[in-house]
Amino acid sequence: NFFYFSQCGNFVNTLFLLTNPYFTCTCFRFLITDVSEVNNEEDSAAENQENDRGADKERKRAKPRTRRGHGRGRARHGGEEDGDDEDGTRRAGQRRQRNRRGRGRAGNEGSDSEGDPTKARKNQANQKSKEDDEQEEDEKGGKSGKGKNEKKQDKKVDKKGKKEKANKKKKDKKKSGSGSGSDSEEEPITEEELAKLKEEVEEKKKLIATLRNKPWKMKKKLSVLKEAQLFVEKFEGALGKGKGKKFYAYKVMMTKKWMKFQRDFENFKTACIPWEMKIKEIESHFGSSVASYFIFLRWMYGINMILFGLTFGLVMIPEALMGKPYGSLPRKTVPRAEEATAMNFATLWDFSGFAQYSVLFYGYYNNQRTIGWLKFRMPLSYFLVGVGTIGYSFMIVIRTMARNANEDGGGDDTSFNFSWKMFTSWDYLIGNPETADNKFASITTSFKEAIVEEQESRKEENIHLTRFLRVLANFLALCTLAGSGYLIFFVVRRSQKFALEGLENYGWWERNEVNMVMSLLGMFCPTLFDVISSLENYHPRIALRWQLGRIFALFLGNLYTFIIALMDEINLKLEEEKIVKYNMTIWEASLYNGTIPENSTAPPIQVDPADVPRGPCWETMVGQEFVRLTVSDTMTTYITILIGDFLRAVFVRFFNYCWCWDLEYGFPSYSEFDISGNVLGLIFNQGMIWMGSFYAPCLPAINVFRLHTSMYLQCWAVMCCNVPQERVFKASRSNNFYMAMLLFILFLSTLPAVYTIVSIPPSFDCGPFSGKTRMFEVISETLEHDFPSWFGKVFGYASNPGLILPFILLMVLSIYYLNATSKSYKEANLELKKKLQSMRQKNKNC
Amino acid sequence: MVSPAIALAFLPFLITLLIRYRHYLVLLYRAVLLGWLQDRLTGVPREQRAFQYVLTHAIPGDPQHILHTFDQWSYHCEHLSCVGPLKGKIVEKLLCERAPRTVLELGTYCGYGTVLMAAALPPAARLYTVEPNPQHASVAEKVIRLAGFDEQTVELIVGHSEEVIPQLREQHGVQSVDFVFMDHWKRCYLRDLQLLEEHGLLADRATVLADNVVFPGAPHFLQYAKTCGKYRCRVHRASLEYCRAIPDGIAELCYTGAR
Repeated sequence: NFFYFSQCGNFVNTLFLLTNPYFTCTCFRFLITDVSEVNNEEDSAAENQENDRGADKERKRAKPRTRRGHGRGRARHGGEEDGDDEDGTRRAGQRRQRNRRGRGRAGNEGSDSEGDPTKARKNQANQKSKEDDEQEEDEKGGKSGKGKNEKKQDKKVDKKGKKEKANKKKKDKKKSGSGSGSDSEEEPITEEELAKLKEEVEEKKKLIATLRNKPWKMKKKLSVLKEAQLFVEKFEGALGKGKGKKFYAYKVMMTKKWMKFQRDFENFKTACIPWEMKIKEIESHFGSSVASYFIFLRWMYGINMILFGLTFGLVMIPEALMGKPYGSLPRKTVPRAEEATAMNFATLWDFSGFAQYSVLFYGYYNNQRTIGWLKFRMPLSYFLVGVGTIGYSFMIVIRTMARNANEDGGGDDTSFNFSWKMFTSWDYLIGNPETADNKFASITTSFKEAIVEEQESRKEENIHLTRFLRVLANFLALCTLAGSGYLIFFVVRRSQKFALEGLENYGWWERNEVNMVMSLLGMFCPTLFDVISSLENYHPRIALRWQLGRIFALFLGNLYTFIIALMDEINLKLEEEKIVKYNMTIWEASLYNGTIPENSTAPPIQVDPADVPRGPCWETMVGQEFVRLTVSDTMTTYITILIGDFLRAVFVRFFNYCWCWDLEYGFPSYSEFDISGNVLGLIFNQGMIWMGSFYAPCLPAINVFRLHTSMYLQCWAVMCCNVPQERVFKASRSNNFYMAMLLFILFLSTLPAVYTIVSIPPSFDCGPFSGKTRMFEVISETLEHDFPSWFGKVFGYASNPGLILPFILLMVLSIYYLNATSKSYKEANLELKKKLQSMRQKNKNC
Repeated sequence: MVSPAIALAFLPFLITLLIRYRHYLVLLYRAVLLGWLQDRLTGVPREQRAFQYVLTHAIPGDPQHILHTFDQWSYHCEHLSCVGPLKGKIVEKLLCERAPRTVLELGTYCGYGTVLMAAALPPAARLYTVEPNPQHASVAEKVIRLAGFDEQTVELIVGHSEEVIPQLREQHGVQSVDFVFMDHWKRCYLRDLQLLEEHGLLADRATVLADNVVFPGAPHFLQYAKTCGKYRCRVHRASLEYCRAIPDGIAELCYTGAR
């Protein structure tokens, strides 16, 4: 039953549409109806009784009105006299009394509504099959038997017995509740009356259950339903009587409470989804395409939370708590030359100074095998977290993609599009007017989307012209890409020249030229693509994909330029490292020579770690670069939002009063939400995180912060300064497109990270892998020291290419096989769909 | 010093602006720059030039041909900000539907709209047209006479609309107007509409047409018309005169606030 009601909220269910408003308008009433459904088993039994007495129905119907008056009077007496007949306390008596009183009223109602719905209902019910009846009767017997021990003997009875039982029950009831003081001649009447009443209640319940199938007008349905529900609400307490009454009431109450709890829990679960309301609000105003961006952002936030948890919990916290403290080692100390400015804000903002020599970066970690009393294997943990981050990301992206792909396959979303929208859009669980407004807006937008789609599918146009224009547009886009690529190349070359000559001789513009050009191109080229894509005349959803693809190419160029520049720098640092290493030996030698000559067994000399000369530590440099890039990227995004959206909106809004043309409709107007740019910004930012998080464990934390703030900022900016697109469209399946791009970027960002890990030797004096020739040696070291020797042997055999190659072959084969089967399933699905359609067509034609 | 690379990075932005707003740039050139240049070169104001062209090319007494000549001149020579043929059709249709007895036009300019409406007027109807600029008014007068409409049909009032409207009843004997066409300063639309209301000049179910409500646009006028409850408002979408790519519209207001 609860499932049934939870579906009420699901506005895809057409069938429930008609009865829904009543279940949802008041929770209480809805629960009552629910209970009435629980008791539905009793219904048909009552129907049977009715069959028996079908002939003298009219007579009976006339009676109750007069007799009920008596009953009420009797009830009042009985309440005083026999209140303690059974364990019924005063309260029980009062309740009974109330029931009686209500019954009197409802008798009128019953006779009022007798004409229309009940009759039809009864006729329908008469056709019920026998076995069904019997079965339900048994159940019924069980129910009443629970309350009354003396009834146990006639548990299995036929209809007649059942009738007797009903009589008996009534008698009992009377005895306990009210009628013991009254004359014997009135008794059968009361009995009859009670049976009658019960019948009516059950009828009503049945009516409520089947109301939605009736071919009536909505108005009539509403009034009938309301009446029936009122009736049932009043009298259904009278159904469980006698000794079990209390227990029954308790049971009913508990069921209600349980239902309510489940409903509340469901609400709570929805409330727990972060930003759900915000996103729904945006969706209602801007359509699902804009909402899809925010859903993507939220998803990304979740991923980053996990990455953050991994790096924070397994790398940063252990190092901060159990590792050697700041100042104990040269790698954990700010060098003497930098000490003066290490705490300046400008230095910290640049992530050097104290920030550089902290857990935030690779260089701070020590190469001790174990740290602290927990014997925490820091280098191993660092390595595994780095690998695990990337592995987890791959897994989650691919899993999400697969799930999305599954969702795409099912459902026939092309036919009856408008009827679905027309009849199933409204969400009957909406309680507050604001949400209702939003829902209204969202339904309107969804209609707009559907109409746009329908128009697109019906359009016929000059195919040659369109083709020509599309080719032209692609050509122009390519030209733009090539131009921007060349510009970046030129700038990078120039900056290398500057770097060789020494950056101190140049001004701010020269030093930040690469960043400036990159962010300017990243800002302006998409708008140019946007203009170009208007030539192509695609459906907005496809246009969005093209746009995404082009911007993707542009950003990719930017990113790889950045990486190549970084690689150059790494090579420079490696060379510098060699020189430093050589100098170190000389320095050490001079140290020994100067202080304690000719003593090889002397204790190590105490030198302040800040004074020890050290290598350039390229890993920290890489981490710093990525962190700086992320921060500057975030700043650029926020500033763009503030200037491009907010200030523009303020200008348009307030200068419209005194301007010679209409600013809102005309030239600047309000900005639209740029889905493609934002999505790609997010994806590339994530790529940066994946690449850099190995060398800067703080990067996921920074990214979580960035995503968190940008969620709020962008939600606010969208609602406050943007207008919906001219052509609002549905974002179906573009989510998987985002995912595919994300996967691609993940792959591309894994490449440089893995390359540096595998092929470049780690710095000799910083980081958890210092002293090793390659970073992954930490694995073999662990195998050697911490595992039994046979394990190392097994591992050695397993990593034999003779074993690995067949394994890979097997994997490829199985992938091929799975792919083939899924394809064939898809085809079968399509066939079935076609068959269904043709059958439907046939039915229509017949 | 800003490096050339950074300057080059702005190139896509410039190109975007150029492409996106090309129609507006063309309009700027044709309506403002070319007009200014011609004024300088010939020493004759633009309206005069248009009138000379019409005088030499149009058939006197044929309003349709005169309008057509105006269109020709605007398409081929310079931009003239009058109603234009496209929106003219809408005005004509609405005028024929309403068949008003008294029509008020605010902003005569060269008399294009006046001739258009006078030609579509039902018999015995009267058109009042208001023009603040005496030079434009003199041109308009000549155009109207050239099209063959006398003072009985068309009365040209020279003066600012905010001064003319209060005096319409006393000086010109107008009890109420059934049809108002506004094509003067866009920022005066709202003021003049309120003036007309104040002086009770709008007849019941009078139609008020306002040109150029989308471009350059009259947002406050539209907002007032939509929210004050005295009008049923509708915007006919069309394009700007002689510039097909720039969207524009005519607002049609039906006055229901008299009762």
